[in-house]
Amino acid sequence: MSAEKPQETVFSVRNLWKVFGPKADRIPGSAHAGLPAGELREKTGCTAAVRDVSFDVRKGEVFVVMGLSGSGKSTLVRCLTRLIEPTSGKLSIDGEDVLAMDRARLRELRRHRAAMVFQHFGLLPHRTVLDNVAYGLEIQGLGKAQRRAKAAEVVEKVGLTGMENRRPSQLSGGQQQRVGLARALAVDPEVLLFDEPFSALDPLIRRDMQEEVIRLHREEGRTMVFITHDLSEALRLGDRIALMRDGEIVQLGTPEEIVASPADDYVRDFVRDVPREQVITVRHVMRAAEGDEAETGPAITPGATVAEAIEAVARAGSPARVMDNGRCLGVVDSDLLLGVVAGTRQEEVAA
Amino acid sequence: MTTTTSPGADTGNRKPGAASAPERRATGANFLRGTGGKLLLFAVVAGTLGAVAAATLGSGSWPAALSVDLTKPLDDVSDWIIDNRDTHPLFLYFLLHLSNTATAAVNAVYGTLVSMGALGVGVAAALVAWRAGGMGRTGLRVAATALGALAVCGLLGMWDATVLTLALMAVAVVVAAVIGALLGLGAGLSDRFDRALRPVLDTMQVLPAFAYLLPFVLIFGTGTPAALFATVIYAAPPMTRLTALGLRGAAPTVLEASASLGSSPLQRLWTARLPLARKEMFLGLNQTIMMALSMVVIAALVGAGGLGEEVYEALSTVDVGKALAAGIPIVLLAIMLDRTTGAAGEQLDAVVTDRPRLLRGWWTWAGIAVATAAAVLAGRGTGLADWPKAWTYDISQPVNVFNDSVIAQLREGLPVIGGTQVWAEHFTNWLLNPLNAGLHAMPWWLLLLLVAGFALLVGTWRTALTGVLALAAVGVMGVWPKSLNTLSQVLAGLLLTLVLGFAIGILAARVGWVERALRPLLDAMQTMPQFVYLIPVVALFAVGRSAAIIAAVVYALPAVVRITTQGLRQVDPAAMEAASSMGASGFQQLRQVQLPLARPALLLAVNQGVVLVLAVVIVGGLVGGGALGYDVVFGLSRGELGTGLVAGMAIVCLGLMLDRVTQPTAAARKDT
Repeated sequence: MSAEKPQETVFSVRNLWKVFGPKADRIPGSAHAGLPAGELREKTGCTAAVRDVSFDVRKGEVFVVMGLSGSGKSTLVRCLTRLIEPTSGKLSIDGEDVLAMDRARLRELRRHRAAMVFQHFGLLPHRTVLDNVAYGLEIQGLGKAQRRAKAAEVVEKVGLTGMENRRPSQLSGGQQQRVGLARALAVDPEVLLFDEPFSALDPLIRRDMQEEVIRLHREEGRTMVFITHDLSEALRLGDRIALMRDGEIVQLGTPEEIVASPADDYVRDFVRDVPREQVITVRHVMRAAEGDEAETGPAITPGATVAEAIEAVARAGSPARVMDNGRCLGVVDSDLLLGVVAGTRQEEVAA
Repeated sequence: MTTTTSPGADTGNRKPGAASAPERRATGANFLRGTGGKLLLFAVVAGTLGAVAAATLGSGSWPAALSVDLTKPLDDVSDWIIDNRDTHPLFLYFLLHLSNTATAAVNAVYGTLVSMGALGVGVAAALVAWRAGGMGRTGLRVAATALGALAVCGLLGMWDATVLTLALMAVAVVVAAVIGALLGLGAGLSDRFDRALRPVLDTMQVLPAFAYLLPFVLIFGTGTPAALFATVIYAAPPMTRLTALGLRGAAPTVLEASASLGSSPLQRLWTARLPLARKEMFLGLNQTIMMALSMVVIAALVGAGGLGEEVYEALSTVDVGKALAAGIPIVLLAIMLDRTTGAAGEQLDAVVTDRPRLLRGWWTWAGIAVATAAAVLAGRGTGLADWPKAWTYDISQPVNVFNDSVIAQLREGLPVIGGTQVWAEHFTNWLLNPLNAGLHAMPWWLLLLLVAGFALLVGTWRTALTGVLALAAVGVMGVWPKSLNTLSQVLAGLLLTLVLGFAIGILAARVGWVERALRPLLDAMQTMPQFVYLIPVVALFAVGRSAAIIAAVVYALPAVVRITTQGLRQVDPAAMEAASSMGASGFQQLRQVQLPLARPALLLAVNQGVVLVLAVVIVGGLVGGGALGYDVVFGLSRGELGTGLVAGMAIVCLGLMLDRVTQPTAAARKDT
């Protein structure tokens, strides 16, 4: 969505480990570090939830961490603000070492720089919607009138106008999560962290909420780290996706890279059912123009998906030209496009 | 050495050499794991120990060689305290201040209530109840209950006693709630503190109310301070327990969300943890109030005064009418306090709709204060400050007339079926006396072994050991026969409680309308203090052991019925369905599915039943129950604290023994 933004780094994570169990700090870098989960537990009694993970979150992007339950993704996102203390590794936000922060500094980070939205909402049942949204501001020490005014603005932004005085128990799941989202937005954080925020919601509501996040991101351009186990959600929201398995990142790339060139069989298995034509762009499918193909036929952009190209080709009855600033980069015809849909053709996508 | 041999046959001719060493070790380990193995090993040890004990110390009652007379030294301690109470620094600089503060606080509250007058107190109670009930329809109902309860107290001529009881209650509840909440806070936040506190609370819960009185009398003498402190100590545990439970149960997701926003631990406690625990804390407060009422009434024995004293005096002269006139206000106070705090607790969940400004927050309380002040002034003006003598009605005369005519008929004159007193005699002759005689005839070591064996069957080595040690302590203290007497009463009462309780519980679990009909009755019964149960049983069964036991049965029954019903109801419906799909009859379902699956609940019911029966059997010392309970009363009324304290300690030991012996494994106990 905003891949062309300047490449400033917000979170920088290097060789991060989180090991649960006795003498957990001895595991990273030891002979046991490479063992599979089962053997590690048997030998040391420890579980490595996050293993030697490195990545950067760039300013303004939606960085999705995806994996099945137990893959360590929720632990990973909690390590970012040290809600769970990492065992070893390096972690910085805007160049500042997070692991070296003292408690006051860390609180400052949580209060102003990174706010989190939780799977089970974590709302205070005894407070109204407005006071729940204002909770983060209250913790910061803002006065009652001030924080309520601010909260009212955010309530409007997430579409909860008119429900300010209700209690969480009177809201539907989707509305509750809007409150959770509003609470995180109210503190105006630099980064929003989402921990499977929509997993507990109905599919239709989930879709609504995803649209909401996309809209918010488009309007504000805030950096987001989004945890999910739902591949279609990851593909829809993510600028880049880190796919985790057993605590390790097995592949990190754009949605297209992951779908088009899976790093291993595990990822391939994962993306098998993804409708490829909706993810893969014609940039990676086209061939050089032959004859007068560069002059005729419908024009599409290199970023258009295969599905869009199919529509253009079907309408025109001829191959489509991939045009970039008036220059023809190549063409796609029905054979090429069908090949993508059928999965018989391997695209060249640089991972 | 095979697993198939019965333990009894195996004990006599054990030949360890028969099996090879490694084989023996393997089977031995397996043995120790199963119940059968445990019992087998136990039987061997027990047989040896029993034989040795019988040979060296003789059978029959507890051997004199193993007894220590504690009465004398305790009397000496008591005398020393009485002699030094006014001079020793410990008293001068600490205990005296405590007792003076206690007296002053109770007097201050009492003085305030008296100067508010009947009208003022009534209006204040009604308004507070109305506010606690949410100022809606519930609020009105609760307020009417409070007003009605107080009015009846006045009508019965018990206004002054009621006010004194309320004053004692108020001070005791505030102190107990504060102490309880602070301890609960500690236990809720610190695992180590929780682990240390838990066994103490468990034990305190088991001890009969009577046992709390004597130590305080020893230190403070009879009077308000002893009564107050005993009440505080007795009433604080539920507050502690439920505060800790609430704090521990706070949803981790909410706490994490709070932390993620950068809250400090104190902010988290104040904005999330405590509010999330409000419901449990209110329940704790409710239970603390009910237990305080129960104790304040019993504390009449140590000079607390108030309603309890009226009942106590009436019972000691077997004046049923007078006892009832004081007993009814106690019941009404219990209902008033329970309804008010219960409604306040429910109010926590209610959603506040927009109310006029005057009905919000502090404005309401200010309004209540103003209205109360107005009522006080109005009361002064119209001469309603004290409850007017003309407005009282002495029910003791008519009740006693009724008692002598109708109840007497019920007692003895019913054709064919006899009458309550006749039944009580049968109960004494056919169950209680044989049980008592049996216990006395049993060699002391055999009883110890029986206790150990039984505890092993239900619990663990540790509970068995505690049980045996507690019972042995009773013997060492030299009150073996009296304790056996009490024990026989408890066992007889328990038997009756369980038969009735299980029967009613099973019925209620299977027939919906029975349960619905029983629920309000059980609710009402569970709020009433132990003391008031003695009044009707004295009327129906005359004084004696059987009256005490029947009061105990009635007191313990609601809990047993409730736990049984719940246990049966919670049996997995899928298992029930599977049974009925295979054509099991209702009885088969009950016997083969429900009862086995509800075993933990049934064991818990037995445990609770024992504890509750013991509590009232001891209090029954007041109505001719004799044994240990009487020793306590005797010690208190004659000032022979040594005798009373020894009996008190024996009660504690007996309580511990009975609890541990019937204590199901820790997992099953947690859901109390």
